[in-house]
Amino acid sequence: MLTYIIRRLLTLIPMALVISFLVYGGLELTPGDAVSHMIPPEMAGTLPPERLDALRDSLGLNDPFIVRYGIWLSGLLQGNFGYSLTAGVPIRQIVLDRLPATLEMAAAALVFSTLFGLILGTISALTRGTTADHTLTVVGMIGVSIPEFFFGLVAILVFALNLGWLPVGGRMLPGYETFFDRLPHLVMPALVLSIMMTAGVMRYTRSSMLDALSKEFVKTARSKGMPEWRVNLLHGLRVALTPVIVLISFRLPILIGGSVIIEEVFQWPGIGSEFIAAVRSQDYPLVMMIALLSVIAVLLASLIVDILTALIDPRVRLGE
Amino acid sequence: MAPASDVALTVKDLKTFIYTNNRCNKAVNGVSFSIRRGRTLCVVGESGCGKSVTAASIMQLLPTLSRIEAGEITYHSDRGDIRIDLLPRNGRKMRAIRGQDIAMIFQDPMTALNPVYTIGFQIMEMLRYHTRLGWRARYRKAVELLRSMGIPLPEQRVDEYPHMYSGGMRQRAMIAMAMSCNPKLLIADEPTTALDVTIQAQIFDLMETLKREHGTAVMLITHDMGVVAELADEVAVMYMGSIVEAGTVDEVLRTPRHPYTRALLESIPILGRGKAQEIHAIPGQTPNPYKRPPGCQFADRCRYRIARCETMPEETQLSGTHRVMCWRHADEEVHLDAAE
Repeated sequence: MLTYIIRRLLTLIPMALVISFLVYGGLELTPGDAVSHMIPPEMAGTLPPERLDALRDSLGLNDPFIVRYGIWLSGLLQGNFGYSLTAGVPIRQIVLDRLPATLEMAAAALVFSTLFGLILGTISALTRGTTADHTLTVVGMIGVSIPEFFFGLVAILVFALNLGWLPVGGRMLPGYETFFDRLPHLVMPALVLSIMMTAGVMRYTRSSMLDALSKEFVKTARSKGMPEWRVNLLHGLRVALTPVIVLISFRLPILIGGSVIIEEVFQWPGIGSEFIAAVRSQDYPLVMMIALLSVIAVLLASLIVDILTALIDPRVRLGE
Repeated sequence: MAPASDVALTVKDLKTFIYTNNRCNKAVNGVSFSIRRGRTLCVVGESGCGKSVTAASIMQLLPTLSRIEAGEITYHSDRGDIRIDLLPRNGRKMRAIRGQDIAMIFQDPMTALNPVYTIGFQIMEMLRYHTRLGWRARYRKAVELLRSMGIPLPEQRVDEYPHMYSGGMRQRAMIAMAMSCNPKLLIADEPTTALDVTIQAQIFDLMETLKREHGTAVMLITHDMGVVAELADEVAVMYMGSIVEAGTVDEVLRTPRHPYTRALLESIPILGRGKAQEIHAIPGQTPNPYKRPPGCQFADRCRYRIARCETMPEETQLSGTHRVMCWRHADEEVHLDAAE
């Protein structure tokens, strides 16, 4: 198991390298370079080209692509993610500032959607064909098919503007920064973000559980004279869990990348809304770096999926 | 009829119907039999004839959209007779009978064991609900059971998962589980169909031993006449939801009185007779369960069909044990023809 995890982590390295190469290549293709961003355009016209070239030389911008990539990469490994073009601050700083907000909301949404998705899906499967099941199915379909921003806007309208129960957006008010002060801010975005995820987990749990309950071993379990709850949960749900865990694990990258739409709707100061801002202001280094981090998060999530699957299903052997 | 104390289970005029899309399949349509302690009743018939539904009715393990419509299933326990058909399906009393008094083994041991739990866990689960043993004692009992089923290295095997067992070993583990509470009745629903022939013999040996040692009554569902000849004390031949012929194994196999029983016997190739032997397949197909013929269900495929077969034949008692549902059961012409 441990050797497998180490081996998988090692195979992540070449993949991450390829992606970093693509990211750097993408940066290279964008118009302009550092010098053209450092010198205001109206001044750039007045400077003689030799001085600009000398400046490029001193910054290493005239070196071959591969050399510059090497320097960039070694910086990356030391935690130097480069600088944002618009804010001029290190990207590392931006990411570290924004990450807690994203983590907070995404984690809340993941926990909520997993919990409620599993519970509702189980209820739906066990009450198959009844009004409860049909209701949950319809609600689930609505949850899956209506876009998140719509729910977000409706929620703001109802709970923030009409009822005034919750703040319209943002993460906290200056001066009110304890956990309980921040909680009302968190509730709406986290719940709206989890609506679609809950609906997905619910539908998936339902079908996976119905599949498991139709298996022969459920009949065996019942033939042992065990109570229904044990048959359904220990034999039905336990076996149904594997694909659901996979589904949930593949959502883990949202912890790093954030949900672009929800963060934008609720003015949540996370990575997602920063990403949108960076795209709008054509802050290429920042866009690329967030993309790189998201891709690495996806790679890690797929490793976590494999490990979790092996942990919950004894038939899956890692390392073969 | 055997003395009541000897009988483990009596089924009387059982009717179990399955409903799908507003249609009704009379899967079991008036079946009666009894099973005695220490004896094996073989229920034979083609796929879809109602064998498994009969077994599921006894365990009350029927699919949701099906129900016992009429008849009685009486389990003669040490604490008195229990009408199983009157118990709520998954109620406490029914659950107490399952596993404890009546245990079941299924056709395919590959799918009948839960893949995510160890064999030991699944045996211990049974003990947990029917004994007062603690965890340690249950674990020891599970090891003992596996050992008695002839599983090598039971101390090690008990912690292994079903996929690490071979097919035959899985079925042994199933039997270990079923026998763990010393049930009075063991229902085996085609227990060897999914196994190869050499393993089949071992499994049957095991079941025979258990039957002898514990006096368990066995209801063996099969479509294999060879198995019947080998193991059965009594035989019931089912066709389209009815028992068309029943009796002791000698009566049914040596003097079959129903054309269907005979057709079944004639359709078996005999080992050693070579390629030249004539095998009589039964012509036609079983009728659509939703459009059953009004009379004898076998009439359409029967060589000896007469006009009277348009009405349902009555059950005729030929001897104390032998009974048949055929209008022409006493017709010499029919039986002379068969003797040729």
